[in-house]
Amino acid sequence: MFPEVFDTAPLRRAIDDGLDWVIANWGAGFETAAWPLQWTLNMIERGLLATPWWAVIAVLVGLAFASTRRLGLPLLVLAALLFLGVLELWEDSIKTMALMLTATLGAIVISIPLGVLMSGYPGFRRIVTPVLDLMQTLPSFVYLIPAVMVFGPGRVPAVLATIIYAAPPLMRLTDLGIRLVDPDVLEAGWSFGMTKGQRLIKIQVPLALPTIFAGINQTTMMSLSMVVIASMIGAGGLGYQVLQGIGRLEVSRGLIAGLGIVALAIVFDRVTQAFGRRLQRRIGTTETRP
Amino acid sequence: MRLHLKFAAAAAVALFGAAFAHPAGAAECGTDRKIDIAEMGWPSAAALARIHAIILEKGYGCSVELVPGDTVPTLAAMVSKGEPALAPELWPNASKEAWEKGLADGKVVNLGPAIAEGLVQGWYIPTYVAEAHPDLKSVEDLPKFASLFADPDDPAKGRFVSCPPGWACEIMDANFFKAYGLGETFNLFSPGSAGALDATISQAFLRQEPIVFYYWGPTAMMGRFDMTRLEMAPFDAAKFACIGDPACANPEKTDFIVPDAVKATASWLPQEAPAIAEYLGKVSLTNAEVGRMLVWGEENKADAQAVAENFLKTEEAIWSKWVSAEVAEAVKASLN
Repeated sequence: MFPEVFDTAPLRRAIDDGLDWVIANWGAGFETAAWPLQWTLNMIERGLLATPWWAVIAVLVGLAFASTRRLGLPLLVLAALLFLGVLELWEDSIKTMALMLTATLGAIVISIPLGVLMSGYPGFRRIVTPVLDLMQTLPSFVYLIPAVMVFGPGRVPAVLATIIYAAPPLMRLTDLGIRLVDPDVLEAGWSFGMTKGQRLIKIQVPLALPTIFAGINQTTMMSLSMVVIASMIGAGGLGYQVLQGIGRLEVSRGLIAGLGIVALAIVFDRVTQAFGRRLQRRIGTTETRP
Repeated sequence: MRLHLKFAAAAAVALFGAAFAHPAGAAECGTDRKIDIAEMGWPSAAALARIHAIILEKGYGCSVELVPGDTVPTLAAMVSKGEPALAPELWPNASKEAWEKGLADGKVVNLGPAIAEGLVQGWYIPTYVAEAHPDLKSVEDLPKFASLFADPDDPAKGRFVSCPPGWACEIMDANFFKAYGLGETFNLFSPGSAGALDATISQAFLRQEPIVFYYWGPTAMMGRFDMTRLEMAPFDAAKFACIGDPACANPEKTDFIVPDAVKATASWLPQEAPAIAEYLGKVSLTNAEVGRMLVWGEENKADAQAVAENFLKTEEAIWSKWVSAEVAEAVKASLN
C-alpha cells in the first residue's frame, strides 16, 4: 500500500538490542533509583494491612464527615467499604488503595511544582505540553513491558505507569488554576510591594487551590482506572481479580472485583471533591446561586 | 486496425475479468459460513492461526475471521457453544475432563496433533543457576533455596513466576504449589500477561539473576535462553487430572503431562466443509520447523502475520503437501 522507503527491521533490531544493553548494564542502577517508590509503597501497604479493618473504615468515614459535615457522604463511604469487606475483597482493596495512594502522592510531588513552573514560563509550557500529550495517549503497554524488563514485574513499574498516566491532568489544572487567578488581585499584590515569589505563594496558589483540588481528584480517578492494566504486569489487587475473571471466564469474579473498583472510586472521588468544595467556600470562590 | 482494436478489447476484457476473478479454489470451501479461527496469545499458535487464515481465505476462498483466544476460554467456548470454529494449537491437558466431554458430546472434533513432537512443559531455572547450585535438581529442593529466588516485594520468601490468568498452566502451577507444599517458603506470582511473563524472564537472564518459572516449548524464549528443567515426582495420570482442575481439593505430587497440542474444530466444520477438515488433518509441524519459524520471527521482530507470510513464502515444501496444487497456486499468487 504505502511504498517502502527503507527496511525498518534493522532499526527495530537496533532499538531492541539497545534496550537489552540498558537492562543488562543499567538495570541495577534503575532499580536502586526506584527504591524510594518501592519503600513508600511497602510502608503504605504494610501500614494499611496492619491496621484493623474497623480502624481503616473509621478513618475514611471520619474524613468523609470532615469534608461535608453531613451524614449522606459518610454513610455512602461506609456502605462501599462494607461491600468490599463482606465480598472478601478487603486485602485486594487495600493493595489497590496502597498502589493508588502511592501513585497519587508521586503524581502530586511531580505535577504541582511543574505546573507552577508551566504557569510562570510560557517557553517551558510549550515544551512540556507535547510531552503531556504523549504521556496521556501513548498506550501504556508500550512503556510497561520495557519497564518490567528494567524494574522487574510487580508494583514498581505499575506505580510508574500509573504516575505517567495520572500526572498530566494535575499538571495542566495547576497551570490553568494559577494562570486564571484574577489579574486585579495580582496587581493589588504587586502594588503592595510583594515579590514574584510572595505573590505566587500568598495569592496565586491559594486562589488556585480549588482547581488544583479538581486536578488531584482527576489524578486519583485516573490512578484507579489504571488498576487492571497494572495487574497485567503483576501488581495484584482488585485488577488481578478482574483479570482472572476475564482469563478464566469466571464472570462473577470479574464483576464483583469490578464493582469493588467502582466502590473505591466512589469513596475517593466524593471525599476529594467534598474537600475541594469546602476549600472553595472558605476562600469565597463558590459559585453563587441566584 | 479493426483487428488491433478487437484484440485490444479482448485483452482488456480478459485483464478486467482477471482482476475480479475468484481465486482458483473458490468453489472448494464447501461452506458459506464464516470460519472463526482462535488466535491465541503465544507466538506459535498466533502464527498457525494466521497461516490457516491465509490458506483458507486465499486458497479455498472461505470467509475467515480471526478472533482472540486463550487456552481456557477458547476450550470452554468450543465445548459449550461450538465457537470458534478452529483452534489451531489447543493444549487440552489441563481441562481434560471438559475436553473429553466435548468430544463425547460431539461438540468438538480432534483433528490430530498440531505439533508432531518435541513439546515440553515444566518448571525451569536458568542453566547458570543450575551450574552454580548443583544440589538444586528438583522441585523438592526448592524450599531450601527460597532466599536465592527472593521475592523483591517480600524478601522473606522466594518468588515463583507462574502464568497469566486464562492459561491452563496458571491452574496447574497453583495446584502444584499446594501439592509440593511451597506455600510457606515461596510466593506464587502471576505476571498478568504473556508480555510481562517473557519480560520478567528476559530481565533475569539478561542480568544473570536467579529465577524459577514455568515455561514450555517449542518457543523462541527456549531457543534464546539456556534453561534447565527441575525434576518432579513421576507422572501419574490420575493425580495429574486433579492438578488441572481449579477445584482440586487435594492436589498430589506428580509431574506435568507431556503436553499435547491438537487441532480442535467445532463439529460443524468437518460436516459442512469436509475439504477444509481434510486439509486441517494434514497440517502438522515438527519441533524443528516450529523452532525455525519462531527464531525467524524473533530475529526479524516480526508479528504473527509476517511470520505466517514468511513461512508460506519460504517453506513451500512443507505446506504444499497439505493442499492440492490449485490451492497452493492460489495461495502463492496472493502472497506476491
